[in-house]
Amino acid sequence: MTSATSSNTDRATSKVAVTGSAMKETKLGIGAQKEDDFPTWYTQVLLRSEMMDYYDVSGCYILRPWCFKIWKQIQAFLGERFESIDVEDAYFPLFISQSALQKEKDHVEGFAPEVAWVTRSGGTDLPEPIAVRPTSETVMYPAYAKWIQSHRDLPLKMNQWCNVVRWEFKHPQPFLRSREFLWQEGHTCFNTKMEADQEVLQVLEFYRQTYEDLLAVPVIKGMKSENEKFAGALYTTTVEGFIPAVGRGIQGATSHCLGQNFSKMFKIAVEGKDGEPEYAWQNSWGFTTRSIGVMVMTHSDNNGLVLPPRVASVQVVIVPVGITAKTGAEEEERIYAKCNELVEQLAAAGIRTKADLRDNVTPGWKFNQWELKGVPVRLEIGPKELTSGQVRACIRFSSEKRQLSLEGINSAAKALLDEIHEGMFAKAKAARDASMRVVERWDDFTPALDAKCMVLAPWCQSGACEDAIKEKSAHKAVDGAAADARAPAMGAKTLCIPFEQPAKAEGKSCVQCGASAKTYCLFGRSY
Amino acid sequence: MRSLIRQRFHAPSRLHSGVVAGAARKRSNLSITASKRESLSEWYTQCLVKAEILDYTDISGCYILRPAGMAIWNQLQEYLRAQLHKRGVQDAYFPLLISQAALEREQAHLAGFSPEVAWVTKAGHADLSAPLAIRPTSETAMYPAYSRWIRSWRDLPLRLNQWCSVVRWEFRNPTPLIRSREFLWQEGHSAFATAQEADLEACDILCLYQRTYEQMLAVAVIPGVKSEGERFAGASTTLTVEAFIPEAGRAIQGATAHVLGQNFSRIFDIRFETADGGQDWAWQSSWGFTTRALGVALMQHGDDRGAVLAPPVAQTQVVIIPIGCTKHDPSQGPVEEGHDPARVGEAPSVAPGQIVAYSHDLAGRLRDAGIRCVVDASEQHSTGWKFNQWELRGVPLRIEVGPREISSGHLTTVRRLDGRRDRVHDQGGKLISKVREGLDHIHRDMLARSRDRLVAHQKKCSTWTELVDIVEGEGSMALIPWCEQMVCEMGVGDRGRTMLGEGGGKIKCLCIPLEGQEPLSPGTKCAVCGERPARRMALFGRSF
Repeated sequence: MTSATSSNTDRATSKVAVTGSAMKETKLGIGAQKEDDFPTWYTQVLLRSEMMDYYDVSGCYILRPWCFKIWKQIQAFLGERFESIDVEDAYFPLFISQSALQKEKDHVEGFAPEVAWVTRSGGTDLPEPIAVRPTSETVMYPAYAKWIQSHRDLPLKMNQWCNVVRWEFKHPQPFLRSREFLWQEGHTCFNTKMEADQEVLQVLEFYRQTYEDLLAVPVIKGMKSENEKFAGALYTTTVEGFIPAVGRGIQGATSHCLGQNFSKMFKIAVEGKDGEPEYAWQNSWGFTTRSIGVMVMTHSDNNGLVLPPRVASVQVVIVPVGITAKTGAEEEERIYAKCNELVEQLAAAGIRTKADLRDNVTPGWKFNQWELKGVPVRLEIGPKELTSGQVRACIRFSSEKRQLSLEGINSAAKALLDEIHEGMFAKAKAARDASMRVVERWDDFTPALDAKCMVLAPWCQSGACEDAIKEKSAHKAVDGAAADARAPAMGAKTLCIPFEQPAKAEGKSCVQCGASAKTYCLFGRSY
Repeated sequence: MRSLIRQRFHAPSRLHSGVVAGAARKRSNLSITASKRESLSEWYTQCLVKAEILDYTDISGCYILRPAGMAIWNQLQEYLRAQLHKRGVQDAYFPLLISQAALEREQAHLAGFSPEVAWVTKAGHADLSAPLAIRPTSETAMYPAYSRWIRSWRDLPLRLNQWCSVVRWEFRNPTPLIRSREFLWQEGHSAFATAQEADLEACDILCLYQRTYEQMLAVAVIPGVKSEGERFAGASTTLTVEAFIPEAGRAIQGATAHVLGQNFSRIFDIRFETADGGQDWAWQSSWGFTTRALGVALMQHGDDRGAVLAPPVAQTQVVIIPIGCTKHDPSQGPVEEGHDPARVGEAPSVAPGQIVAYSHDLAGRLRDAGIRCVVDASEQHSTGWKFNQWELRGVPLRIEVGPREISSGHLTTVRRLDGRRDRVHDQGGKLISKVREGLDHIHRDMLARSRDRLVAHQKKCSTWTELVDIVEGEGSMALIPWCEQMVCEMGVGDRGRTMLGEGGGKIKCLCIPLEGQEPLSPGTKCAVCGERPARRMALFGRSF
């Protein structure tokens, strides 16, 4: 049954998955601890909260409704912003011809090792293999060349929401490194470089907003190094996240200025004043389902998922409590009625609310389950609440409990959700900031990494130096595969050159090679 | 640059073969050169490409949905999403790739799809150890998971939907949107504790699809049941809505909902504990609505001037064209004040700036009222050119704002559907409600026209000879008493002559209509085989 493409490692995790769902009825909790065994904890959280499930093709995962609703919130949030800058939605084919894919040399070199190829349909071999898109530059730009004829055809701004396939052979991880993922990819063309430069940053700001204002995940904006920039780009900007529990950085989303590199290859040009072709200035930018993985890793705990309120598909769950054998039928009815009434009231105020009125499980079991699923607020209603005019609110991320007055509960609940968002963001930011060290001497570099920190260090920006840093900061004694999953011992990469610098780098020496430093750069072990 | 352009247009290219000439004329010749009645398929592709709804790529059967086309799909998605949400259906996403083992578990299903499955066999430079199928539909990707998730009657119903693309590598001649190798769709997959719930859901969804065609796309359809030979591979019943394209003399399957019974649940072991402690297999249904609907609507409503879009789905519902603000550009030939003699000789007594400012103000008011509206105040094109251009794109309503309109306060509106001109007084909020009403009327008229044509092309008959005359002679559909036997159905293909010329296509059973069935008089024989007793009235014809 399992296709032979599955790697052994994934098959092992797949077994965990099956056991996990077999335990569904009996055991809800997370067995692994975030601090001790992060990878197992992560997959348990995702499986048991019903965010995703495994699949019999290694590196491909099922996004279940609990997760997909989060993606839809992200789509709506970003969609509105793209519309505000006149980006239009379109859809380009899943398939790319070999000749189109190979048109831009750097680009094809970057992607070739992980392109999936269709070579057969039914029982017949295709005359020429066809690539499944790893990204759509090469399928879109031949069309752009056709459509763009005059200055008036610019700017051209298109976006598509779709799936892409990158057949990575490294250890797959749900959301973070999967062979198929969902994303949006924006591809724009301008008359001038200045317009392109501005848009790159505008979109990067949208991505920051999505992470920080929607997912409550702090990110750092910056520029990718030459080595780390997108294959074929002029420059790449990025928002970088960080997972303190494992001390690893993670690329959140990227916005690229492609310059005229692709437009020259694909002949996307308009006629200039002197009759010479003027090539378009291009950008491309993408935001993927990886963000959901970053969100889960950032906020969740040993009781399961913790969802930031703005994306949670259920923001408030109402659980009836205190109903015992002694409770009269009439009182029980009134409690249930109160729960339903409250659902309607909160829902009318735009709060996504659900009452859990199941009679086959205990309130305690329900508490655990909704905690596991990460619902931001639980309201408890029992006999006491019927008379007191108050409800008990339990806050998922802080485990704090409060009394809320039923009078004015709509605005109180709204305020509480905002407060939770701010609280989650502040908590995550404090943890991230505590893991950032400014280092100026090489001797402090690897110890900082080993202390699960990112390093901000003066750097010369040379590619050779970057390679040397990676090499020297790795622990070679540890076996590679194990290292990837457990204690990271790989070398440090440049995460980005932050736009916001800690100090002037002028006059400082590069942390590794001692040459004159150009900027501070953020280094870290990373996903 | 000149040479660059020439190279782009004249380079031998597999790009959009057959349409390359059309695209090359983009700047110089915008209008459609083919007649819908005389050469439907040439007209259709010109209409799609020139209205910028779709474009070709260098892979045969794969197309680009441009913003004007994607906007229609987004409107349909939004409508269906809300309707499905109301019914408690949840969205999820299952992988694109399906293992050979999963795909091969249901044999009838496999036999139906295997000739057109695209297989990934290589990644990077290495061969995969086992090939992976690109989903042609997701039953086999989803149901193994359903088997894990469904344990007890409390887990039912499970109703999931996904919006995605699927690939069916057909070797028949591809037609954009109608028969493409990749298309977008939603696929819903439900599991229930009882057969009745699954049946009801399939019927309910079919009604939803019918309403989507009618209320969103203004296309009349016939709801019906597919014959055994036309049923979805692995289903026990397939329900369908069928549309009809008179210019082609052919019907087209609009969308389908399938009752799967326990066929898949037995194979994928989707078993649950019943409320009374027993065990049963889940009862399932699946249903899908695809981008083909865009093709059906465009083919249905378009005319020789271009696309005609139904107001609910049009990216732009109203275009406002200020008259008399165009600078004369000799390179564009003589100035024409529209092709409309009503405007010729109009004296410009109002400043162009005032006209444009008024147009933008009007657009703002319409947008505030939720009407999708643009102003075309571009100076480089003549008014007539703009009229043609927006007609080509199928914008339902044009508002003309010229000196006469400004001074009288009465605007001129022109309907894309039939060119009808109306005068509307811009006074208070009246204009907004008039425009909104106008759009509603356009929709109503488009749907009525589609329904009239659908009804006019259904003819009752009781013999095979008459049937052939109706279908091949008149280009209509024949409603006949039919025995519904597989052996009879298999014989139809052999008996039907195929027409020469465009497409051809065999006569087949389109559906057994759900509406208008009356008990047949005793002794009625099947019109196809003339031997067996007829069971119900069935609709036969040629199909896309």
